[in-house]
Amino acid sequence: MSTFKPGQRLKSCICATEVMIIKYVGAAEISCGGVLMANANEAVKQGKAESGFMKGTQMGKRYINDDGSIELLCIKAGAGSLAVDGVALAVKKAKPLPSSD
Amino acid sequence: MSKPLEGVRVVEVAAWTFVPVAGGMMADMGAEVIKVEPPTGDPQRGLENMQHYHIKGPKPFIQIPNRGKRSITIDLRIDSGRKVLYHLVKKADVFLTSYLPPLRERLKIDVQHIRAINPNIIYTKGSGWGPKGPKANTGGYDSAAGWASSGIADLFSNYCDEGAPPMPSAFFDLQGGNTIAGAISTALFKRERTGEASVVDVSLLNVGMWALAPAIVSAPFRDPDTPLPSRKQAGNPITNYYRTRDNRWIFLVALQSDRFWAEVCQLLESAELADDPRYQTAALRSENREACIELLDGIFRTRTLAEWIDVFSAFSGVWAPAQSFAEIHHNAQIRANGYLQKVTSNEGLDFDLVSAAMHFDGDATAPQGPAPEVGQDTEALLMESGMEWEEIERHREAGAFG
Repeated sequence: MSTFKPGQRLKSCICATEVMIIKYVGAAEISCGGVLMANANEAVKQGKAESGFMKGTQMGKRYINDDGSIELLCIKAGAGSLAVDGVALAVKKAKPLPSSD
Repeated sequence: MSKPLEGVRVVEVAAWTFVPVAGGMMADMGAEVIKVEPPTGDPQRGLENMQHYHIKGPKPFIQIPNRGKRSITIDLRIDSGRKVLYHLVKKADVFLTSYLPPLRERLKIDVQHIRAINPNIIYTKGSGWGPKGPKANTGGYDSAAGWASSGIADLFSNYCDEGAPPMPSAFFDLQGGNTIAGAISTALFKRERTGEASVVDVSLLNVGMWALAPAIVSAPFRDPDTPLPSRKQAGNPITNYYRTRDNRWIFLVALQSDRFWAEVCQLLESAELADDPRYQTAALRSENREACIELLDGIFRTRTLAEWIDVFSAFSGVWAPAQSFAEIHHNAQIRANGYLQKVTSNEGLDFDLVSAAMHFDGDATAPQGPAPEVGQDTEALLMESGMEWEEIERHREAGAFG
């Protein structure tokens, strides 16, 4: 069973996605494409993607759960999308910019 | 061969286009450029689409200045944020900023603050109006400090009913960024040779003037009644531009026109031009320029630009069609030299960027990658610099990253 902690790098078992864990609490499971993510330096066992979690990840974007207690930074983009305990993560909104022309 | 600025580390605390363009060019040339953004990001990221391109296009105002950079968000208003900045500055070769003196002082990122951390760093300031004089603390964008202040807007307003035509986006910003990159490279060289690290200043006002130097230098000696240059009065009718049948323009630059006159007449298939005694020599063509140009105008109106391109492909002199921005993407000469370089944005969109106009050892100077997402490298950069995760967390708690 993987243990997750901040600073750790994870990779997807079904696509090219890699993330860095920025914030993490509890014992929640981090998945990509519906499949538990592996340590970046582990040998990856190819999993079978779940169609509901194939919305894609984007380089440099941060993904968070409802209360922001878990935050993942995408360091390599891929086809799958991220979830914690089966609940899809949302893109962390950047602080609002002053509107400009 | 290695890239020219490989191993050079730049910390950039700059907004908008002018100063960040220097960072982008240095990234192209192999430097590691760390873009320090406020938590809300470079305000440039808030610019709406000013190019009226299809929504699927890249954002040129983000991609052009910031290609190939790494991004960290820091709140420089707080102690913890400044500590993070100083940590990065310690191992940097170059500090690059667009912030004005009062803000630099308030954030403690002025020359004396940064040099206290790294005495050997090359400190570079890009400003609108220059570091001295009454406008030293005033902001400037290129349409004010470059376009309006260099004399070109005043010149162009004589040719149009509605004042000068709109300045092409970032027109002087890009040349300014180019200038800063050159200045920094020069300062790096000096530091190698002498150990002395310079404070470098580049302003948009100076950049604008540089572009208009001939007109500026001659202004005190110019009779105010001198008529404005006009293509209907060009002293050398074959160093001039002509309208084609399809309302496009073709430029001929046949300096030393006596060499080229007979050839041009032949290409235009005009015995009238070739035989007319009024146009036999450069001196005569200048004397009779109005009539000569009128005649040439009539001839050029008979064919389309595409047809003239065909005709002039045989010309031994210098010429060019006035090509559109879209046509540039299909130009064989441009492609052969690598002046457009393909980049893929973080959104997965392929597009071309214009390469920096300096190429080394036969290789095109290509961007290292697209512009970064705001703050995408915050953690990675600090971890690479040897900061422990616990310390990164403490900075985060303190609000250093916004």
